[in-house]
Amino acid sequence: MNIYINGTGCISPQETAQIGPLFSPLKEYEQVRLQTVDPDYKQWIDLKQIRRMSRAVKMGVGAANLSMEEAGIKMPDAIITGTAYGCLDDTGVFLNKMVSQEEQMLTPTAFIQSTHNTVGGQIALLLGCNTYNNTFVHRGFSFENSLLDATMILREGEAKYVLAGGLDEITHYSHQILSRFGLYKKAPVKTMELLKSPDRGTIAGEGAAFFVLSPEKGTHTVAELAGISTIYKPLWEGEVIGAIVKFLEEHEVTLEEIDLIVTGRNGDIAQDDIYEEVAAALFPDHPEACFKHLCGEYPTAIAFGTWMANKIIAEQDVPEAAMFYGTPPAKIKNLLVYNHRQGTHHSLILLKAC
Amino acid sequence: MEQLMADLKAQIIEQLNLQEVKPEDIGNDEPLFKTGLGLDSIDALELIVLLQQHYNIRIANPEQGPEIFHSIRTMAEFITAQQKQQA
Repeated sequence: MNIYINGTGCISPQETAQIGPLFSPLKEYEQVRLQTVDPDYKQWIDLKQIRRMSRAVKMGVGAANLSMEEAGIKMPDAIITGTAYGCLDDTGVFLNKMVSQEEQMLTPTAFIQSTHNTVGGQIALLLGCNTYNNTFVHRGFSFENSLLDATMILREGEAKYVLAGGLDEITHYSHQILSRFGLYKKAPVKTMELLKSPDRGTIAGEGAAFFVLSPEKGTHTVAELAGISTIYKPLWEGEVIGAIVKFLEEHEVTLEEIDLIVTGRNGDIAQDDIYEEVAAALFPDHPEACFKHLCGEYPTAIAFGTWMANKIIAEQDVPEAAMFYGTPPAKIKNLLVYNHRQGTHHSLILLKAC
Repeated sequence: MEQLMADLKAQIIEQLNLQEVKPEDIGNDEPLFKTGLGLDSIDALELIVLLQQHYNIRIANPEQGPEIFHSIRTMAEFITAQQKQQA
């Protein structure tokens, strides 16, 4: 069974909620933390409800609505969300109140809104959707596992339209803590120069991307979600290279038939090494596009990468801002997204134009 | 009483994060729940906490809730009565 991407929606540090050519206009930054460009959420959420929602919830609801609008559906048969951090902002509010108020007189709102499945729950509440609703909280595989669950449900014939997506937010506290782990650059860097950066660390990001998946093509369908695979803690780069070869064989695509690779390079010299190894071994002459300089690094950033890959197939062109190596191919039929998070969570997503 | 009602409006707007609502938009006798401000059961819990935090008043009988939280004026009257009792 083929699984098609019938609609996509994305809220990110780029103006991705706007209709128009990909990354036009391009948002360039010179900072170590990128925040989403927020659309007017009141177009989807009632004013009385929006006041309780943190940014993570709003961006999730917004991206979900955008994807359903593009797919032309009002109600999905399942809602599947992937998030590593969940609703961090409200978790912080609740924990701060616990400390400052000595565990007394805690208000319910921040607690209710602080769980990882708040976004999936709010999408369902706003739609009045009582069907399957699941949230995957699997660090760097959260989005991939939501897609995997979506494909299994569709293949089992339990649903016709599945809304699946990934999102994460960065907050002041989480950025401070993760900075202490050495994840981010110590000084601001221009986003368009990030991938050539000569030192350790990357830039933090956030965002939400949702997809309406279906075994039937819709009016705006341009790509098929042909495959997903994850590799956890590979011992060396050869294991990843072998996994990519096997993955492509399983999906009956040769290396030569891959028109474009989209990688998760993030400007951290220690983490980008493996992309170099993979490209040298398997794709020495293939054009390569990247996405993390546009959205920042976060555990579900590959959702943005997948959204971008679908748009590239739709436009049959790669924006200059996304191009990393080579020239955009004349025709883009098969596109491989390869991403890793912290060297431990590696994933492959294969899109085929249809 | 007027000052207390003005304070309550500002505190409610802050506690409930009532975006785009100004103190002058809330009538003293306007119902807080259903019609009027359209607050709900979660907001009721927030208002109970507000009374505890700002006025050190605990509501002993939950059945009094609808009466106390009917409007800004009924809340202010309840606070004034409780403060007199405590004094």
